[in-house]
Amino acid sequence: MDSIDKIVFGDNQFFGINHMSQEKSQQLSEKFYDIKNIYKVYDSAIECGIDAIMLNSNQRAPEICEYFRKNQSKYSNLKWYPSIPYPHKYANMVAEKGIFPAINELIFSNNTTSGVLGMVTKGSSALLSKDAIKLMQMLIDLEIRMFKGLDIKVIFLQNIVTDLMLGYGIKEIFEEYCYYVKRKYNVLPGFITINLPFCLNKLKEWNIKDVVVCSSINKIGFTMSPNIETYEEIIKNNDSSVYQIMAMSTLASGAIKPQEAYDYINQQNIQSVVFGASSKNHIEETVKMIKL
Amino acid sequence: METPKIKIGIIGMGRMGITHFSIINTHEKAEIVSVADTSSITLDILKKYIKSLQVFKDYKELIDVSKPDAIVVCTPPNLNYQIIKYAFEKGIHVFCEKPFTADRKQAKELADLFNKSGLINQVGYGSRSHDVFIKTKLLIESKIIGDVIRYKSEMFSCAKTKKSNGDSWREKRENGGGVVFEMGSHLIDLNNYLFGPAEKVGGTVLNTVFSKKVEDIVSSTIFHKDGLAGTLLVNWSDESYRKPMINIEIFGSKGKIVVDFYGYKIYLMEENNSLNMRKGWNIFKLPDVITPVPFYVRGNEFTRQLYYFIDLVCKKETNSICDFNDGLRAQEIIEMLFIDSENIKK
Repeated sequence: MDSIDKIVFGDNQFFGINHMSQEKSQQLSEKFYDIKNIYKVYDSAIECGIDAIMLNSNQRAPEICEYFRKNQSKYSNLKWYPSIPYPHKYANMVAEKGIFPAINELIFSNNTTSGVLGMVTKGSSALLSKDAIKLMQMLIDLEIRMFKGLDIKVIFLQNIVTDLMLGYGIKEIFEEYCYYVKRKYNVLPGFITINLPFCLNKLKEWNIKDVVVCSSINKIGFTMSPNIETYEEIIKNNDSSVYQIMAMSTLASGAIKPQEAYDYINQQNIQSVVFGASSKNHIEETVKMIKL
Repeated sequence: METPKIKIGIIGMGRMGITHFSIINTHEKAEIVSVADTSSITLDILKKYIKSLQVFKDYKELIDVSKPDAIVVCTPPNLNYQIIKYAFEKGIHVFCEKPFTADRKQAKELADLFNKSGLINQVGYGSRSHDVFIKTKLLIESKIIGDVIRYKSEMFSCAKTKKSNGDSWREKRENGGGVVFEMGSHLIDLNNYLFGPAEKVGGTVLNTVFSKKVEDIVSSTIFHKDGLAGTLLVNWSDESYRKPMINIEIFGSKGKIVVDFYGYKIYLMEENNSLNMRKGWNIFKLPDVITPVPFYVRGNEFTRQLYYFIDLVCKKETNSICDFNDGLRAQEIIEMLFIDSENIKK
């Protein structure tokens, strides 16, 4: 399995996602309303030696991707770690119509306008033949389209979807997701999860290999289900040639001081860290502290 | 010998049904034996990938044929009454998504039936299982801010920020649609949980922003026992909120508590040595408060309330964190809000 980047620059800070406070969340949202401020932070990250970016396929992602595509000569070394889908886009639709009618509408509305008739035909036939795998593949294509032309390293399934699907325990879905991502996009499949031990145990049980798993990992056990002890045990014994582990929420939303947080992370059998920051100072300091 | 797993049927595979399935499926003492839904595509796809699952288009059939010990009801609220009543007749435990029903009288009848039955009954008001509100309740009970006198409660989301055509089940109040039923009920129940059951309401105003046939904003004053009162404001047409948010500010005789999903702040007029809090502001963030659940999907509160229900069924204990009586109390306030808003318009 290809090694992933040790440091990946995340995107939560750009989209008003902050688990620390509502005000902080709002401030960030205002600051990054002007997309140029986002590019400035990316430039700072790159100046600090980062050349890997995780980006969720939210409403602003297409514009960001377009910018990096247009300026590819300047950003030729960048590797991308998209996470899909943007769950809030689907939430209300699913509540109103049910999951499959919602998927159906999504596939149709996204394609009839842009004239991709092939996908519509494929979509309706997938629905008729009750083929969830084919529907999933179409959703992947739909979400990943905005990243076209960028150098993708891993395609992550966002945690709401990963964890929801883990609960159902359907092997085929995970197997086919990984297979499709490897075969069609020639990149590593990834799962973001709040249930890392559960996820790794299932992948092993199903004999699904060469996968990247990204999970909140921090000293105080914040958003680590079922508990920190189970996390530490499974991370210690993990074979990183089969499952590479990427840590997120390393600061537990700011509850842990950076040095303390990374002293902990550096001791774990972890292959990569994804973090977000909005000032050059913070990025620089964090990069110095991560020693994997 | 190993005790057999409790058998669970899920009725309604919309957004909540889908979530509950995932969570319950990870509980080692529970087994989902059946689901019912009106969408044959949903049923066929589930059946295709989960071979042992029995699927039904009719809830009665689910109950009669798959014989679950407990059902989880996730249908539009106006259908809950008939389903729950049928489950009662068959001696089945019930977890019902909020709001309990779309009609107060039906809620009363169901609460009365289950009170005498020994059957476990729970309404899915998840905020009662949210880490920060569990803690807030304990703080109020500890009297750290003295007697609660007033509160301000608000809930916002961007669930309805586009004009709708009025076709969905959510566009009819008699189905349990509209911001009062769908979102306001959460805050109404949470206020009952934190401050004791409300007794009356006043000055209720409903506004329509984007919906065609139901309200999008509600505000009111809520009256509890002994002069305790608070305000309620719920708006699901506020695009500036990326996801649902609750803010509550509680004013007491010795200080105040300000709480949202991110944590809580306590202002004390005097230091409190027994709880190790200083005079002035004491700030607690979510990481200080939260305890992980065995399996996480969408939020700790979802798992916590369902595992709680399953554990009660296993132990045959009826002391629910949110039983049908609590569901009825929220329903009474909902009805009062509608009546009050009509009276004001006259």
